[in-house]
Formats: sequence, structure tokens, C-alpha cells
Amino acid sequence: MRVTLQELIEKYKQNIYVVAFGILKNKEDAEDVVQDTFYQYYISKKEFESEEHIKAWLLRVAINKSKNAVTSFWKKKNVSIDDYIDTLTFDTPESKDLFETVISLPDKYKVVIHLFYYEDYSVKEISKILGISESNVKVRLNRGRSILKEKLKEEWEDDE
Amino acid sequence: MTNSEKYKKAFSVLEPSDKISWEVEKMKAIEKKRHRKIAAAAVAIVGVLVLGSGSAYAANVGGIQRQIQLWTRGELTDATITFDGKGGYTTTYTDENGETQEMSGGGIAYDIFGNERPLTEDELMEDAGMNDVEVAIEDGRITVYFMDQVIDITDKFKDGICHVHLTGNGKEYFLTVGENGNYTLSEDKYMDL
Repeated sequence: MRVTLQELIEKYKQNIYVVAFGILKNKEDAEDVVQDTFYQYYISKKEFESEEHIKAWLLRVAINKSKNAVTSFWKKKNVSIDDYIDTLTFDTPESKDLFETVISLPDKYKVVIHLFYYEDYSVKEISKILGISESNVKVRLNRGRSILKEKLKEEWEDDE
Repeated sequence: MTNSEKYKKAFSVLEPSDKISWEVEKMKAIEKKRHRKIAAAAVAIVGVLVLGSGSAYAANVGGIQRQIQLWTRGELTDATITFDGKGGYTTTYTDENGETQEMSGGGIAYDIFGNERPLTEDELMEDAGMNDVEVAIEDGRITVYFMDQVIDITDKFKDGICHVHLTGNGKEYFLTVGENGNYTLSEDKYMDL
């Protein structure tokens, strides 16, 4: 199946932007990835099993493009991540702490943490999106959680 | 509140801006512009950046930096280009307002076997030299800057497109500009946006 580009943009641009920003820590570069990702869908002739399949594909493309952007040295003159975070309005100081802590995680833990807690994907689904084994996903999830627990203490609950 | 709820709440502050263009034709043009640098730099060249008097000027200082001159907004400007040794560079110069401006670039090239390699310094110099041409929209006017030439093309559009043929000091470019400032640049012919 295929869904119209406009419909996908309305539904998922936020999701794509957030995952890209988490890796790139830069608004403009993340927006470029959002645009590139939807453009990739537009020019792709791939058929999908379902809309969930499309969303998972979009996230995978965005994650790969973000990782490539980090290593390809294309840079824009931009505000530092700390300065940018100061411009955001969080509901509570705890939300800001959580945001900053997640952003500071190593990418391989951060991506898994994000797909689990923000996108509500299961370990199995995450392993398919990232193309890694389920055991690998579990290891990264546990290590990411350990760091979050250590830094956020009572603000982060123990969960399996 | 569960960890998942806390997480979603924290990241709900992030939203993409309205600057992103969702029109397919504009996305296509932006993609072309962004990838033009990689495509152009993959061609083997002898790189010189500085023009004006017909001579090239690129003093080597320390092996990872070069003092260069480049055209920006119609003025020949001193700049420093710093290579990171991994196929990337940053060009730093002072603009007409005294502010330090920075441009970065870089990329990869492919050999005939399809293997990737970082761009060489000569290729990066040529990549940076593609900045000979600038298209700017200011106060509703669209201006093309090429070396010391400043060309107002605001009233020269037909069906939303303006073609500009640029020549100077042995260089020739075919520039296609759209009314929103997107453009394609080629050394061979006018390309579609």
C-alpha cells in the first residue's frame, strides 16, 4: 500500500523530527533530515504492508540519514545545544532534566530508548527497525536505562 | 506518571518549524542543491579559489590550513580554509558587517570501483570555490553575486524561472534561478530546478 505524502507529513513529521533532533542535536540539520526522509518516500517505489510499516520505514530512514549527517561533516552555523535547550519551554524542571539527560546519552542507547519510550515500539519491533538482534536491543535498552536512573534518580522509575 | 509518559511530555517541546518546504518541486530543488556539491567535487580538478587579477592565491600555512581569497557579495575577501583531514573543511571570513562568518562542507567521492573515499584538499578547494556564485533574496529583491558582479534579476523572471549565463576569468556557469531563490548551477548547461 501507499499513503499520500501529504497525509504522511501531517501524521509523522513530528515523530521524524524528534528522532532526528535526538541524534543531530541541531534544529536545522534535523529539519533537513525530515525533508530528506519524506522526499525519499516520495521518490521510492516501495510498496508497504501497512501504515505502521511505512512509519517504521520512515523512522529507519531518518535514523540512518541522521547518523550519516553526523559523520559527513556537512555543518550549518547554529546555536549550541545548551543555548537551544534554554529557548525551549518545559512544563517542569524534571522534564528539562529528562530531556537533557536523554540528549546526552550515547547515540546507540538514545535511539533505542527513544523508540521504546516515545514511539512505544517493542524490543522485537525495534530490532527490525534498526536491523540489530533483539538481544542487542535489550542490552542497549538496559544500559540506557541504567544511565537514566543514575542521573535522574527518583525521577526515573525502575522498569523492565 | 510512567516513564513513557514523562518521556513523551519532555520531548513534546520539539516541533519542526514552518520553514520546511513540503511542496515536492521545492524539495526536489533543495535536494539537487544539497547534492550538487558532492557530485561536482567528485570530478577530478585542479583547484584554485582566487580570481580577480587572473592569478591564484592559496598560501599553505601548516598543511591543514590555507589562506585564500574568495568572492562574497561581490567583494574579494580574505578567508581561511581549514581541512579536518577526513574530507571536511571550514571556511572562515569576516563579512561587510565585521562579523565572522563560517561555511562548512566536505563529502565523499567514489572511485571507479564504487569505493568511497574522503575528498582530497584540492577537491575540497574546488567545492568551496563553487561558492563563487551566490543567490540572495533581500528586501524583496533577488540578486546574483558572481565574483565582482552584482546582478539584480528580480524583474527578469519568465514563468517563474530566470536563466543567467556567468563568465569571468576563465570560468563559465549556467545558473537557473527560481523565484523563491532556489537555484541550480552547472558548468555545462542550464539545469531544471
